[in-house]
Parts: sequence; structure tokens; C-alpha cells
Amino acid sequence: MSAVATPVSPMLVRLAAEKATGALLRDHGTLYLVDGRVVHAESPAAPGVDVLLTTGGRLPREGWDEAVDRAGAHRAVGRFLVDSGRLHDGELEICHLGAVFDAAFFALSPTSGPTRFRYGVGHWFGTVRPVSAEAVERETVRRRELLDAVWPYASVDTAPVVPRPAAPGQSVGVRQRALLAAADGRRTPAELARLLGRPAFHTLLDVRRLAAAGLVRTPLEPEPEPESVPPAPALFPAPPVTDPDIALLRRLRDALEAHL
Amino acid sequence: MPGIDECLLEAMALPGARGASLVDWTSGLALGTAGDSPTGDHETTAAETAELARAAAEFDSFTTTGETSGAIPGDSPPVEDLIVTTRAGFHVLRFVQTSFDSSVFLHLWLDRDSGNLALARLRLRDLAERLVLG
Repeated sequence: MSAVATPVSPMLVRLAAEKATGALLRDHGTLYLVDGRVVHAESPAAPGVDVLLTTGGRLPREGWDEAVDRAGAHRAVGRFLVDSGRLHDGELEICHLGAVFDAAFFALSPTSGPTRFRYGVGHWFGTVRPVSAEAVERETVRRRELLDAVWPYASVDTAPVVPRPAAPGQSVGVRQRALLAAADGRRTPAELARLLGRPAFHTLLDVRRLAAAGLVRTPLEPEPEPESVPPAPALFPAPPVTDPDIALLRRLRDALEAHL
Repeated sequence: MPGIDECLLEAMALPGARGASLVDWTSGLALGTAGDSPTGDHETTAAETAELARAAAEFDSFTTTGETSGAIPGDSPPVEDLIVTTRAGFHVLRFVQTSFDSSVFLHLWLDRDSGNLALARLRLRDLAERLVLG
């Protein structure tokens, strides 16, 4: 495949070309480069390698902490996890690559904020399996398009995940069942990802797939910021409803959503 | 053993091997590739094979034992591998079981004439285990 037509970050393209080493800081995350290749990425939106490894019980939290204590200063935590027998090479690579592409997706999300590069700055996790900056850009673009191809309503990405009943005979996969079971109507996809120890993009994608199947509610518009919600007027309390026609309301809602 | 690249190189040493990759079936990302791809582009092949793997891994028809009514409990993924036979080749998709939450499989593309499907299937099972168990 050829180069990305519209780069998600012109600065990343330039840094890759000049084989730069350092940290690319953006609004939603940071990419770490060594000789122009991406060796690590992190984003507040994406669970880190520690969350992915410890949530499922693969690694006890103390094992992780010890690795960071002993190898963090040499920027070789990943290597230490393997050399000390806590993890196998393949596991480390699978987990770390997944986390890097996940964080990079959010770090490279469109933003109006500044992009800065700090030369020479490295990450304490160390290098596991460097990826070309072009591959990271291309995958990020592919992921954006994939989300919209599945269900073009970005409002489900940030809103609390509210499950809806399955239609008769409708089946749900094992992984999606686990996601639905954890969705309590308040947790957002990012919170569910952390809870389940899964990459955040995977969770977004599953939520969009579930929304497309009608198994998760699609908010009509992005959730308003909590601060901007006006307080309910205290002077006019809603009259108590004695006999709401739930079935009618559900049919109305379904009809409205069908016209989204 | 070795990491992803060594694992894919071992797969490529099998008779008739034309291409190998390690793919994440939730996202369609190729974590590693070796050799050729049937479409000429490993990323396209990864996205396509991921859809196939996801269907197999999630449909109840494949994830229930037939003896009990529910899905198999425990961590081991019920689907072990998928085999697609075409006029010109074989495709073996072997699910990799990790002890953290993940969704990856090995994909091996074999030439129909020189490939040995039975051997490839056994070796891929072995490779999938050694990739994560060392």
C-alpha cells in the first residue's frame, strides 16, 4: 500500500523522515520514536500494558511494580519482564504492539491543540518491536474508517454504554456478552476497556458493532458536558405518572431510532 | 521461543508455505507478516481473514459443545482452527490462546500442490502454543 494520502500528523511524517528520536506530544497522547520508528505510545484514553497484563491475572501487580522499580531507570521494563521469566517474548510482543497501536489511535486523533516534539526523550518501558511511523499512521486512518463503516455515530464512543434487549433469536458473541455484562448504564467504553483489561479501540469497535445490531443504545446527539446541564427547575416538579404505557413508549423510541 | 518474527519464519519453513501472519481478529491489525499475501497486500488480507475468524469465534454454532446448551466455560477458546481450501491453496487460521485478554490468530497460506495440510495444521498448533508459552 502506498503512503497515506492525508497524513494524520505532518510532524510525525517529517520526524520519521529525519529518523528522529524523542517524544511527540499531542493533546490526547504521546508517541515515542527511536530513529524515526515508533517504539511506544501512551494515551489517557487507552489502558497501558500494565492494565492489560494485570487485569486478567497474567501478571500480579507486584510483579509489574518490581519490574518498573528494577528496570525503569535503564528503560528496559519490557525486556526485564521476559528475562526474569515473568512473560514470554511472544506474549510481550502481542500485548505491547496491541497497546501501542491502541494508544497511537487516540494520540493521533484530530485535535486543534499544539503538537510538540522533545528530542532525546525516551520511555521507561523500553523498545520491544519498533513499528514504522507510516504503518502507525495508516492503521490509525484504517481504524477511523472502520468505526464509521460499522456504525457512523460517534456519540456512542463517549456516552455511557446502555444495553438494549436482544431481539428473539439474536445471538451475541462471547466477548461482546462480557462487554454487555459489564455495562451498567453508567460506564463509558473507555471505562469498560479498563475494567475488562482490553484495548480501548477494541471496546469502541465492539460498542459500535453492538449499537449497529441494536443491542446498545445510540444517543441522538453527543452527551452534554456534565457542567453544562442546567439544574432541574425546582418550582415545577413533574407530575407523578401513574400508568405509563411502557410498550407504547418503546415502540415510539424504536421508530424514532429507526429514522436516525 | 521466540517472538512473532521467529514464529512466522518457522511457519514459512513448512513445505508449500507462501505467506504467514499474526492477526488481531477484533481490529483486523496484522501484528507481523512474512512471505507473500494472496491479495498482494498483507494489511488487506489481515482485515479480511479477521472477519472470518471473528465470525467463527463468536457464532454460537461453533462455540457450543453440542453436549451442553451453553458456551464452554473456562478460558480455552472453543474454536481451535479454521481451514479454507481454494483451487490454488490452503489457508489455515489457528487461534492463539493468551492468558491476558487478546484476540489473535496465526494465518498460514499454503500452495495447494506442494503444501501438506495435515502437517501444517499440527505445526501451526505447536507454533501457536510456543509463541505464548515459550
